[in-house]
Amino acid sequence: MSLLEARSVTRRFGGLTAVNAVDFRVETGEIVGLIGPNGAGKTTFFNLISGFLRPDEGDVLFDGHSILGHKPSDICKRGMTRTFQIVKPFPEMTVTDNVLVGAFNHHGDTGAALAKARSVIELVGLGPQAGKLGRELTVAGRKRVELAKALATEPKLMLLDEVMAGLTPSEVGAMIEVLGRVRDAGVTMVIVEHVMQVIMNLSDRIYVLHHGEAIAEGPPREIVANPRVMEAYLGESFVAEAGAEPAT
Amino acid sequence: MAGLRANWFYLIVLAGLLMLPLFAESDAVAAVMPRGLTGSALLHVFVLIFFFAYMSQAWNIIGGFAGQLSIGHAAFFGIGAYVSTICYIHFGLTPWLGMIVAAAVTGLIGAGLGLVSFHYGLKGPFFALVTVAFAEITRLVLLHWEFVGAANGILLPFSPDPTFWEFQFTTKEPYYYIALAMMLGSIALVGWIARSRFGYYLHAIRQDEDAAEAVGVPTKRCKIQAIALSAALAGLGGTFYAQYTQYIVPDDMVVGRVSVEILLGAVIGGAGTVMGPIVGAFILIPVGEATRVIFEGGGTGTSLSALIASDMGFADKFLAYLDYLAAGGGGGLAIILYGFLLMAVVLGMPGGVLPWLAGLRARAARRTRARS
Amino acid sequence: MSDVYLQALISGLMIGGVYALVAVGLTLIFGVMDIINFAHGEFLMFGMYGAFFASVLFGIDPYLSAVLALPLFFAIGWTVQGVLIRPVVGKSHAIQILLTLGLSLLMQALAQFLFSADFQSLKLDYGSATFDLGGARVSYTRLAAFLIAMGLCAALWVFLQRTDTGRALRACAEEHEGALAVGIDLRRMYKIAFGLGIACVAIAGIAMTPFFYVAPVVGPKFTLVAFVIVVLGGLGNIPGAVAGALIVGVVESVGALVMPSPSLKDLGVYLLFILVLLFRPQGLFGAKGS
Ligand SMILES: Nc1ncnc2c1ncn2[C@@H]1O[C@H](COP(=O)(O)OP(=O)(O)O)[C@@H](O)[C@H]1O
Ligand SMILES: [Mg+2]
Repeated sequence: MSLLEARSVTRRFGGLTAVNAVDFRVETGEIVGLIGPNGAGKTTFFNLISGFLRPDEGDVLFDGHSILGHKPSDICKRGMTRTFQIVKPFPEMTVTDNVLVGAFNHHGDTGAALAKARSVIELVGLGPQAGKLGRELTVAGRKRVELAKALATEPKLMLLDEVMAGLTPSEVGAMIEVLGRVRDAGVTMVIVEHVMQVIMNLSDRIYVLHHGEAIAEGPPREIVANPRVMEAYLGESFVAEAGAEPAT
Repeated sequence: MAGLRANWFYLIVLAGLLMLPLFAESDAVAAVMPRGLTGSALLHVFVLIFFFAYMSQAWNIIGGFAGQLSIGHAAFFGIGAYVSTICYIHFGLTPWLGMIVAAAVTGLIGAGLGLVSFHYGLKGPFFALVTVAFAEITRLVLLHWEFVGAANGILLPFSPDPTFWEFQFTTKEPYYYIALAMMLGSIALVGWIARSRFGYYLHAIRQDEDAAEAVGVPTKRCKIQAIALSAALAGLGGTFYAQYTQYIVPDDMVVGRVSVEILLGAVIGGAGTVMGPIVGAFILIPVGEATRVIFEGGGTGTSLSALIASDMGFADKFLAYLDYLAAGGGGGLAIILYGFLLMAVVLGMPGGVLPWLAGLRARAARRTRARS
Repeated sequence: MSDVYLQALISGLMIGGVYALVAVGLTLIFGVMDIINFAHGEFLMFGMYGAFFASVLFGIDPYLSAVLALPLFFAIGWTVQGVLIRPVVGKSHAIQILLTLGLSLLMQALAQFLFSADFQSLKLDYGSATFDLGGARVSYTRLAAFLIAMGLCAALWVFLQRTDTGRALRACAEEHEGALAVGIDLRRMYKIAFGLGIACVAIAGIAMTPFFYVAPVVGPKFTLVAFVIVVLGGLGNIPGAVAGALIVGVVESVGALVMPSPSLKDLGVYLLFILVLLFRPQGLFGAKGS
């Protein structure tokens, strides 16, 4: 049984079909890459499986149960968390408190939750900034808090929406290292990323979305050699460039 | 360090408040207080402070911590007063238990209002408007319901030699200590919430609901719990008010002005902080009462309508009008100040006094660190 | 249709017309600035007091006051926007609501201080004159208020559609960045919008003084009714507000007939309000932009 399975998921916005009959599977322990040009529907797809949007058609199964119509918080309780492309740290809370809110997902007691939050903060390398407020952080700091909040919920599956966007190459390197540690901790991940180097290095398997449709699926080596994928990207005059913050 | 110093400060204030009734009549108090503000008059002012601090703390849970602006809390306050009073008059239930019934009823109504509002995703100004409409509906119903005295309200049965169970006292001291206990209880409760998962969840909701949902915060349920608790506490406050004033009437209780006064303390002191509502009430009520004592003392006795109708010349009329204003006009100066303070705080220190002070202290600390 | 219902319908439409002008002011401010003005009704109250004192002290007819009030209250609105509202434009709704609540509290108490809490009303020799309309009695002063309000709503509509300033205001209401990009001075637009909105609500108040009491506490009811109408008509939608106002006026006056007590008439209006907020927050006629 797959950890996550999306069956023919579709979502329309007015006349636009943002996600079109996408089938998607994630096995426990995998890192799955999700790529596609801007506006391909990646963020919308995340919204659909994490409960922020309801699919018009199709079904989403997590751990073998349909989670259609469940609230995001409920889905998080079951073990699937997502980060936001437009990061959402709690601006008036310290980094520790930001992460603490996530840690409360499985710890009702403040002391236990705080211990969990501290260990996650160490894991992602936010220790020196633990006392800063959410709004005082740099882009790199915010991206890490975003990741740390999600990790603190102790997910089985984490959906990461462009956690590298806007980072400098050295910050990207540090983040890759963090993700490696997260993988070693046994967390399954789906990562949306524009930085090809990241996707190719980290992913076991990659899905390619284009105009809302999944046009290819396979291991990284196959994906780079796939003519349809090349066409999709070149057609949009896409440049795989580290540090480019996309508009959507 | 700062926290420790603040705790000492609060402890000393608390000790002073506990002992104040013993010295309310003393010469020392008379020497420092403005005219006549000793004895029971002084205790009355403190009862008002405690009571407003308590009500504002109740509001703080939904309006401050959860960030859902309610402008209708006067409704919960009013309903609470009516419930315990009716239980007392019609069923002979002691107000001490009536208070619990009142809290249960207003808590349920709050939960119902929250359930409906938050189920349909009402946010920001729309939730605020629903609370206003709810309060207005409550006022209209009370105003026309003969069973609860309609527009005349209810005069609580006076008992010349009251027992404790009647929740009536011939002196101010018992009310003073009850109000103080309610305020302290509300601080303890909210202080505990602030350190618990529930408190962190409410703060997260206030700052970003989507981000909160994403990390497992059941936002709808938390908001409903917050408004239910807040409404229950406000209802409890209603019972105290009814017992203290012995007279409840819709047009004094369930009106917009009262709803605003309830939120005023928290907003001015610092919404979403544990001590904010208390600090706010300790600023507002003395300012308001001092204004009343100083500016609204006598009054000329002329009514504006009589002045308009009189056959004086225009210049004389104008001078008489100035006299009228100098004697406090039609009243309302304290509320003018409240309105002014609310605007000043919103514009000048949007988080309220306590967060503003904390910010000042942090900046000063950073400056000393930079210098050394 | 029986006479009482015809009477209720006509009275409802008359007062609904005045509500329309109040609500149009509110929706214009919201549409252009995205500000929720909880002090709206207090400007109406000050308009009423202005007309009342102009009449009893100087013998100025309220209808003349209405004309004088246009520039006066436009200037007041312009100034209030520049001094008080401007700092909170773009801030959270909570901040804006609290600021305008503070303003409303202050204005109510100021009116009490200056004019006392007494209820005042104008006694004009033409105040109680009526005429017959198919079996219903219509008072001239109510008809006049209705016509003034409708006329001003129409004038505002023409102003917004036909003049450069009006078009610029509508551009602001559509999208702020867009308006900035084409070189519209947003700050000036905000002042104009607030000035116009305040002038509308003040004139609505003045038009009512011949038949409605004045007191420091008259404002909140009109603020709330205006919110009801604006939500009903769709936020920022001016024709929607006029239609919503007429509906609310009729619901209210028919409510006075069917409710056990006439003063419960507002109950229906508030229940309608909550239902619309819950089930159709974009209003019956669609909000701005949709
Ligand atoms: N809430 C929405 N309403 C309307 N259109 C939307 C909404 N969210 C996304 N879209 C549209 O759906 C398409 C996919 O967007 P998105 O999922 O953000 O793409 P990606 O994350 O792959 O860049 C885009 O054309 C976008 O404009
Ligand atoms: Mg995206």
